[in-house]
Amino acid sequence: MNIPEPEAFAKIIYPPDNPTTEEGLALGRALFFDPLLSADSTVSCSTCHLPELAFTDRQPISVGINGRLGRRNAPGLTNVGYLHQTLFWDGRADNLETQALHPVADPNEMGGSWQLMISKLRRHPVYWPQFERAFGLKELSELNPDYVGKALAQYQRSLISSDSKYDRVQRGEATFTEEEALGNAIFFDLADEPNAGKYAEIPTGECAHCHIPPHFTNQLFSNNGLDEANSLDDFKDPGRGPISGSKYDNGKFRVPSLRNVALTGPYMHDGRFNSLKEVVDHYDAGGKYAENKDPNIIPLGLSPDQHRALVAFLQTLTDTSFVSQGVRESESQGVR
Amino acid sequence: MKYLSLLAFPLMFLFAGCMDDDDSVTGGEVATTVNFRAEYDDADLSIQSIAYDYPTGAKLKTTLFQYYVSDLELLPAAGGAAVRLADIDLIRYQSETDGSVTSRTYNVPVGDYVGLRFGLGVKPDLNAMDPNEFSADFVLNEVQFWNANARYVFAKIEANADLEDDGTFDTGLTYHLGSDAMYTTITFTGDFTISTTANPELNIVADVFKALASDTESFDISNPDQQRIHGMNQAIGQDIWTRLAGQFELQIR
Ligand code: HEC
Ligand code: HEC
Repeated sequence: MNIPEPEAFAKIIYPPDNPTTEEGLALGRALFFDPLLSADSTVSCSTCHLPELAFTDRQPISVGINGRLGRRNAPGLTNVGYLHQTLFWDGRADNLETQALHPVADPNEMGGSWQLMISKLRRHPVYWPQFERAFGLKELSELNPDYVGKALAQYQRSLISSDSKYDRVQRGEATFTEEEALGNAIFFDLADEPNAGKYAEIPTGECAHCHIPPHFTNQLFSNNGLDEANSLDDFKDPGRGPISGSKYDNGKFRVPSLRNVALTGPYMHDGRFNSLKEVVDHYDAGGKYAENKDPNIIPLGLSPDQHRALVAFLQTLTDTSFVSQGVRESESQGVR
Repeated sequence: MKYLSLLAFPLMFLFAGCMDDDDSVTGGEVATTVNFRAEYDDADLSIQSIAYDYPTGAKLKTTLFQYYVSDLELLPAAGGAAVRLADIDLIRYQSETDGSVTSRTYNVPVGDYVGLRFGLGVKPDLNAMDPNEFSADFVLNEVQFWNANARYVFAKIEANADLEDDGTFDTGLTYHLGSDAMYTTITFTGDFTISTTANPELNIVADVFKALASDTESFDISNPDQQRIHGMNQAIGQDIWTRLAGQFELQIR
């Protein structure tokens, strides 16, 4: 099936062995919202990825099965199908197909075992026929975790958002307020332009080196100065380092997308900031010292007006039609 | 290692003319490796892990070095059309684990060659295109697109410097360079043969130090106005760009 995509984005790369089909998408959507995938049928993907919060959970650190505290903040899933490089804050998964295998078996998330899960699905009166149709399976024994991953990936690739105010301004269908326009000018360093006009004297926010449109991430790893570290071994959560195998990558995290960011707080990998105002306070101060802090993180010197304007710009990245579509889809999933 | 000289060029041209016919009759292609080597002051570049001396007294740790290469081509001894190896590529060193060599392997027609050339940056016809016109995994979608006016960032050098010699690398240096006007073709002349038996290693060497400094004239990284060059603010960038483009070397082993 052909899922329409916005003109402004380079097209999603569909893996040749998992094209999206109507049956696969419907199955993936049902699985995403179904607590059946957890050990005691209390936790679904949507417990931590709520559509009304652009698929986040309002918690600093996610809480999984039996109230167990996880390790990190749940990222939003807006346009997650466009993140074709790596997934997770530390980039430890390569694609949505394999990513989905992590939470089900994670003792702090869904706490299940794949063996158990597969036997549940094989016996299931609704799901088994759906797997049969979606992937052309013939024997129960063919159903394995890979097909669950594939179905969930198909659903998540359909989470496409391109109708925020920011997008509409790009398409010439809306205009920024004066405050939003100032925030846009700070975010995109318009003071550097030769004909910056009224923006010539404003600070450059340096945001778009890392949060570059259309997805507001460069999908790379950086240390944006959250924690002071006199030694690279000092980071409480080393992030990328253990995955890449280099201590110079300790304290680096994958640059998150900022789409729908006004809905996805609290912020950062550990949910340390409750509001966008606190996030902007952090960047305005230039971050804390570590020798691998990204050199683009510098003190900004924002005036109170400029500070508010940057927050106002970030709020233009909210796409309410995307959010309500997700909510409608979740409500249409009956109990199975 | 042999350095190619300008003098050898006309001679090779004459001799190779007839030998080449044989090669083109036998035809065929050989997998040939081009190594993009990054250095700092003639030593292998390391991202983060080494504190380098800078001539004006400071020390610095490089955090990123990258550049686009357009129209990477070999020049056949027999003349005629250049052999295109790549239309566009991004060479990037961003993690200690990347090492200092980025290798690419191309299928190259056997024969004698008298040189290699490439454009430093994104060639104008590609620079005119937006990222959404390309596949999401194409090198021009490595989010180096700055804005509709400034277009793609052709090269970046980033480092943290210790200006006060107090052991803290707390001054960020970020040089983001490029524009259509700055696009530069770099040509190396010299001879080498690609055959099924002799397969030279081609090394394109770029030295971050030489892009910024020399024994006599070094870019002043302690001047706050020279620590950050971005977007359309390319007046100071031109100096670094000229040095960057001028310091490339081809080494054939
Ligand atoms: C207990 C809460 C919880 C549950 C349940 C959960 N997730 Fe997550 N999810 C998280 C957290 C926390 C992260 C970030 C973890 C990290 O990066 O280390 C995450 C990351 C992700 C990512 C990566 C997004 C990105 O931008 O890299 C995807 C995709 C995802 N989850 C999908 C799912 C799917 C599909 C399910 C159900 C099979 C699921 N999640 C269940 C909390 C949860
Ligand atoms: C050097 C790259 C870089 C720059 C420049 C940068 N950021 Fe970030 N940003 C990151 C990284 C990396 C994170 C995640 C850090 C973490 O959680 O450890 C992040 C996180 C965020 C978040 C939290 C998102 C979430 O879902 O938790 C917001 C909001 C944000 N940045 C906004 C901005 C703004 C506004 C600017 C400019 C003032 C900016 N960033 C500049 C790299 C950068």
